[in-house]
Amino acid sequence: MNEQQTAYRIKQLLNRGLDLDAGKLARLKTARERALARQRIEAPVFVLALADNVLGRLGGASSLIPRMLLPMAVLILGLIAVNQWQESQVAAEIEEIDAAVLTGDLPLDAYLDKGFDAWLKRSSH
Amino acid sequence: MIPSDGHGLLSKTEKKEAPLASPNELAEFLAGVERRAYKQALFAVRDSENALDIVQDSMLKLAEKYGNKPVAELPMLFQRILQNTIRDFYRRQRVRSLWVTLFSSLSAGREDEDSDPLETLDAAAGSPSAAGPADQLAQSQVIEIIEKELQRLPARQRQAFLLRYWEELDVAETAAVMGCSEGSVKTHCSRAAHALAAALRAKGIEL
Repeated sequence: MNEQQTAYRIKQLLNRGLDLDAGKLARLKTARERALARQRIEAPVFVLALADNVLGRLGGASSLIPRMLLPMAVLILGLIAVNQWQESQVAAEIEEIDAAVLTGDLPLDAYLDKGFDAWLKRSSH
Repeated sequence: MIPSDGHGLLSKTEKKEAPLASPNELAEFLAGVERRAYKQALFAVRDSENALDIVQDSMLKLAEKYGNKPVAELPMLFQRILQNTIRDFYRRQRVRSLWVTLFSSLSAGREDEDSDPLETLDAAAGSPSAAGPADQLAQSQVIEIIEKELQRLPARQRQAFLLRYWEELDVAETAAVMGCSEGSVKTHCSRAAHALAAALRAKGIEL
């Protein structure tokens, strides 16, 4: 019989000899319960586990990327389009004013004259 | 060990099965290991009350310090704590015996503690089943002899043998728990197995 076989046979017999009397079993149970009452559970670990659980329910971090990527791209493109449209509106307004000023009968120096400006304000009232 | 799915990848559920120990899992682990732990302590310190105290201390330390560790790590951590607690007990005993030597008035108590270890084993080992056939009785006697022989082994040999073959730690884990090399673990285990086999053979017991 080699070492492994001897060890296996002894292990079997030792396991059969694990019947303890009620008093010792009760002591062990009490010790176990005391230990469990003091089990260390860290809050950050719990929070991370919770986050992992939520991600897991959504299909994991890898499945989250395509789901979020498309709406984000649409949103960014939309914002760029709105910005471009606003800029073109402002440019068109300026263009209109410039055209009106340049094609008007009034000379350009008249707009720089403070008296004319004051007269324009008075006459508009 | 976490099984693989054959493609080298783990499924999501399998990945999730290496979690931190919940109170239920820790309770299950402790319930499964407590009686072997008690016996290990008993073989080492040869006193039932002290062995129970050692197991209780070890359980408390595991829960307080490592209660948040993954379930798979608990056996090795617990064994390390148990062996350290047994070692601490030996140290305290050495200090106490030094004082006892100095103050002989306490010698009566010490004598009692150093009494025949077999006496303390009677209740633990000798519990044949209710059926009580002759072979059950014979087996319980063999178990008693094995336990006695285990106590007689050098501490390191007994420790290595029990961790390796009873607690089923692998060589590397046993070496880590014992704080020695893997080669030493193999040597201790081999010597222990041969010593036990020889001692049993000398008593006419064939395994």
